[in-house]
Amino acid sequence: MHPFLLSADDLLRGGPWATRSARPVRVLLHLGAFVCVFGVLYGGVMGAFAGITGQRLLQVIYSALKVPLLLGVTFLVSLPSFFVLNTLAGVRDDFAQALRSLAATQAALTLILASLAPFTALWYASNSDYQSAILFNALMFAIASVSAQFLLKRFYRPLIRRNRNHRWLMRAWLVLFAFVGIQMGWLLRPFIGDPDAPTSFFRQDMWGNAYEYVARMIWHVVAR
Amino acid sequence: MLKWIKQLDRILRGEATRLPALRQGTIDVEARHLAVVLVVLGMLYGLCMGLFSVIASGGKDYRQMLACTIKVPLLFFLTLLVTFPSLYVFNALVGSRLLIRSVLRLLVASLGVMLAVLASFGTIVAFFSVSTKSYHFMVLLNVLVFAVSGFLGLAFLLQTLHRLTISEEGESQPPAPVPADEPAEGSLPDRAEPSPDPAPQGALDAIEGRVLGHHVKTVFRIWVILFGLVGAQMGWILRPFIGNPSSAFAFFRPRTSNFFEAVFNSLGSVLGR
Repeated sequence: MHPFLLSADDLLRGGPWATRSARPVRVLLHLGAFVCVFGVLYGGVMGAFAGITGQRLLQVIYSALKVPLLLGVTFLVSLPSFFVLNTLAGVRDDFAQALRSLAATQAALTLILASLAPFTALWYASNSDYQSAILFNALMFAIASVSAQFLLKRFYRPLIRRNRNHRWLMRAWLVLFAFVGIQMGWLLRPFIGDPDAPTSFFRQDMWGNAYEYVARMIWHVVAR
Repeated sequence: MLKWIKQLDRILRGEATRLPALRQGTIDVEARHLAVVLVVLGMLYGLCMGLFSVIASGGKDYRQMLACTIKVPLLFFLTLLVTFPSLYVFNALVGSRLLIRSVLRLLVASLGVMLAVLASFGTIVAFFSVSTKSYHFMVLLNVLVFAVSGFLGLAFLLQTLHRLTISEEGESQPPAPVPADEPAEGSLPDRAEPSPDPAPQGALDAIEGRVLGHHVKTVFRIWVILFGLVGAQMGWILRPFIGNPSSAFAFFRPRTSNFFEAVFNSLGSVLGR
């Protein structure tokens, strides 16, 4: 197997190189490369709903770029507050390792997503309903996120053993990341590409707010 | 300036509030230098917060952002100004040994924690400012961020006060050993031996020990609540921070309503009422 894939395999098994390396910057770059390569893979498949010919090829490329963008930018936006929270909890000396653990989890998330891509392709091939395609992709993202949590817990175990504060810091990170990530996903729509709408990188009415939208939907259901 | 930021860093890491460092009965920080750093941090957050009004006006109107940049540090220091005298008087009244300078340093250090957390949330607030059109959502998000940072800052205040009482009363008493962490999976060979260097205490970690001077703690606890209330109302007086896109720019708004009513209104309007 190619060394790149070999290290990906090792990452999924919770390989110690990801969090305990003498060359931290190199490891971070390596993990970033995973996110890009495997994120592009899944994104490409995700964007292929309306076909891959002519104009629609653009949607495939856009979606391929958007998945790593979604994960990377969300990561960067959430990082400063996580850094200060770590410092405040007295575990700043572990921050480098915590950062690598988080990055490794991101990389694993895209790996899992990429492994689920064939299912998405199969779904697209067997069903032409746009709404169900959205739900199916949401399900794939949910599976990948939940599975990646196990790896995060494994990477965090030595940290938690060293200092209990890491436990709630890890939870705080998940809350922060999900909070920003959901809005980022909303902002970067369309991922799948509505067959009835023209191909575009951003939606025309992109300046919406995911939470407000959901709150309104819930309110309409409740108040009906 | 870099030295001053390092001071803030020492507070955040909890180095400035370790028990040996508190033996002199005060936190070893320079309040004046720290205050400058805090103003800068507050302005940074103000920029992120005010970004919403610039986006909402189509990138034409920067006045609200400038006003917000000034108002955020102002909010914190005015709140401190309003609440500090009574705190000091009651603190002296119940027989605390904290001198005015120590109280001031303690409070500035707590503000440091608050503003550092606040500024670190700046990226998230800026991101939502750029990507959302909903004014009421921004109000709620900012209230949440302010609440989180205020809560952490005040937790720091109470914890440091607790440590100050311990270190004051027990000059010779060594710091309480840190309780051993979770049972290890057999990877630590010498767990029976007491570790020579216990895990460093974070700024918010509780320390075991006798609590004396509980009157002082009561005063501070009441003060913490007061600080929160005054802070909220001060924020209301200094409004607009975010700038409702549907009303014209104003440095201050007329005196109507109050903070809590406004938050409930925003909550209602996000829910679509």
